[in-house]
Order: sequence, then structure tokens, then C-alpha cells
Amino acid sequence: MKQIIKSIAKYNLSVLLICFVFALLTNAQVNQTQKWVFIKIEVKGMACPYCAFGMQKEFKKVAGVDNVEIKLEEGLVYISTPISQKPTTESLKQIIIDAGFTPGGIIFSEKAFKHKDDE
Amino acid sequence: MKIFIALILLLFFKTNVYGQGPPITVETPVMLGLEGNGIRTFGKFISKENVNVYVQSIAFPYNLTTKFQVGVIFPFKFITSKNSNTIGGFADMTVFAKYQLYKKDGKAKTFRILGFVKQTFSTGKTSSTPPIGSGISQTYVGIVMGKLSIKKGLYANFGYNITNNNSSDNFLYNFSAGAPLLSHKYPQRQLNTYLEFNGNYEFDSKVHSVFISPGLQFIPGSRILFETSFQIPIVQNNITTNKTNYMVSLGTRFLLN
Repeated sequence: MKQIIKSIAKYNLSVLLICFVFALLTNAQVNQTQKWVFIKIEVKGMACPYCAFGMQKEFKKVAGVDNVEIKLEEGLVYISTPISQKPTTESLKQIIIDAGFTPGGIIFSEKAFKHKDDE
Repeated sequence: MKIFIALILLLFFKTNVYGQGPPITVETPVMLGLEGNGIRTFGKFISKENVNVYVQSIAFPYNLTTKFQVGVIFPFKFITSKNSNTIGGFADMTVFAKYQLYKKDGKAKTFRILGFVKQTFSTGKTSSTPPIGSGISQTYVGIVMGKLSIKKGLYANFGYNITNNNSSDNFLYNFSAGAPLLSHKYPQRQLNTYLEFNGNYEFDSKVHSVFISPGLQFIPGSRILFETSFQIPIVQNNITTNKTNYMVSLGTRFLLN
């Protein structure tokens, strides 16, 4: 009886392990195929860190955005989203206006932007 | 004093320092971040010749839109006269509204002008000696303007204060220049210094007072700010009794959402 229980437990554990490895591989494949769009946004009037915080909060609400990088001295905001959730230029400009600033140029790219700090 | 002013001027022209916060004793035209939907508390100790006054205020600004802000200020005043006990209580409440009239934004800089209206009600009791409230209603109509970049901020507000009960109307004018002391990048902590001037001219009595107010401000994060200011009178014309010796302020601002 004990042997039967042991063999069932071993079998279940093996199935569980196989499922886990399969899930990991599938997830990795999805991540590899997931394309991202990188967006450089010029925000005019962002002259102080305490007001830039409001801008950061608003961009974090955009679907798919999990990281907002603010370069205060350059008046730039960098965000990235999955390409399936790419926001429109108009929607980004409206977010900037609603936050109390003035929108400038907005550039979309499939490659990450190089910052001054990185060079 | 000359050394202090020279130090402030030096800081203005020093490069590689970034960021600064709202002015301390002067209104700001930027209704964002800590000046938006937050709470401001301000404790002011006023030392006069015959009396010491402590005013603890709490202000609630609220942005109806990015251009339009309303708010309310609840002050609690405690007065200690020489040879008498301390009396205290709720003082004159103020409601205010700011509306953005002009905005010119550039790369890491902005220039903004606001219309500013505030109404102070005679809610403080006047039956006590000395009185907690002023016993008069006051309507202030003014302008707030500011030009700020990440390296410095220049602010001014001025306006006419209309009083009732045959009290003298007055003209109030304030200037502020701010500069950061710490070199940093967003969103690290900030330490800012200010040199401010606060003027008041009463038309009937021709009383004119001007204070010079150096101040310091510490912003440890995005949601909280601490500030202090020391106000010294440099002009007190036509004031015969109970002149102000100095004023010390200590305040904090919290961002709610």
C-alpha cells in the first residue's frame, strides 16, 4: 500500500515539474516575441522636481507603461509600452495638457533611446 | 547681511545645481505637485515689543482644474501679552481662489501669471483682551507671478486689500528669489534657499513695513516638504508702539494624491 502511495506521489511530482518547466519555456518565448515601443516625449514647462512628479504619475497611468524616466534638465520624459498597447500622439499630448504643461515633440522608436548620461 | 546677499547671488550664478521648490512666504504661480492637492501647515512666531503671538495655520488647496485652484486656511492664534496670561483660539478664516491668466512654457522653464482673490472672515473672537480675531472682513485682490527654471526661481505677488469697519485698506507686495543648494537629478532630495521681501502699506495711517526673509527648504521626497523662514523688519515707518522685533516660521507641505 505504502509503495502504491509513494509511486503515485512520485508520478504527481514528475508531472508537476514537467508542467512548471513547460510554463517557464512558454513564458520566455512570449517575452522574446513581445515587441516594445520606446517613446521620447518633450514636456515644456517642467521646471521643478515637485511639479515633474505630477507628470510622472500621469504617465504611469498609461496602459502598458511601468517605467517613466524623467530628464528634468532636458525637459524630456521617456516611457516604453508593449507595441500592442502603443498610445497615440494625441492621447499623450492630452495627458501633458491635463497635467498643466505644454507638449512638445513626441518620437516613437523600436529601439531604446540613448540618454546623455549613458554616453 | 552683505555677505549673505553675496552668497545668494553667488548661488544664482553657480552652475550644475538643479531644482527648487515653491517660495516660502510668497505665493507661487505653479499649482502643481506640492502646491496642488495637498495640505500646508505653517507655524509662525511673532515677537513684538509688548506681545508675543503664535499662529498655527493649516491650509487645504484643491485644484478644480489645472488652471483653477480654490482653498481654505484655518488659523489658530495664541497671544501672550506682557504681564498677562496666554489666550488662544480659532482666528480669522480665509478662503481663496487662484486662476491661471497666462502661461509660457519652455524647455525646463516656465513663466506664469495668476489672478488671486481671497476673503478673510471675522471668525476669531474679539471679546477677549487682547482679541484673537481682527474684527474686520478683508477682501484681497491681487496678482501672482513667477519665472522659474531648474536653476532658479523668481516670484512676486502684490495686491490690494479692502477692509470694512472703517479700517485702513492696504497694499501688500512680496518678492522671492530661490536657488537650490544641492546638485541633483530628479527625483533626489532637494535643499533650497530663499531670499524674500514682504511689504505692507496702509493707506490711511501711512504705516509702511518691509521684512527681509531668508529661508531654507528641505524636500526629502516627492510628497513632503519642510521649510523655515526668519523675518526681520527693515522698514517700520509710522509705527509708534508695539513694533515687530522678528518673526520665525516653520512649515510643512504634504501631497495627498
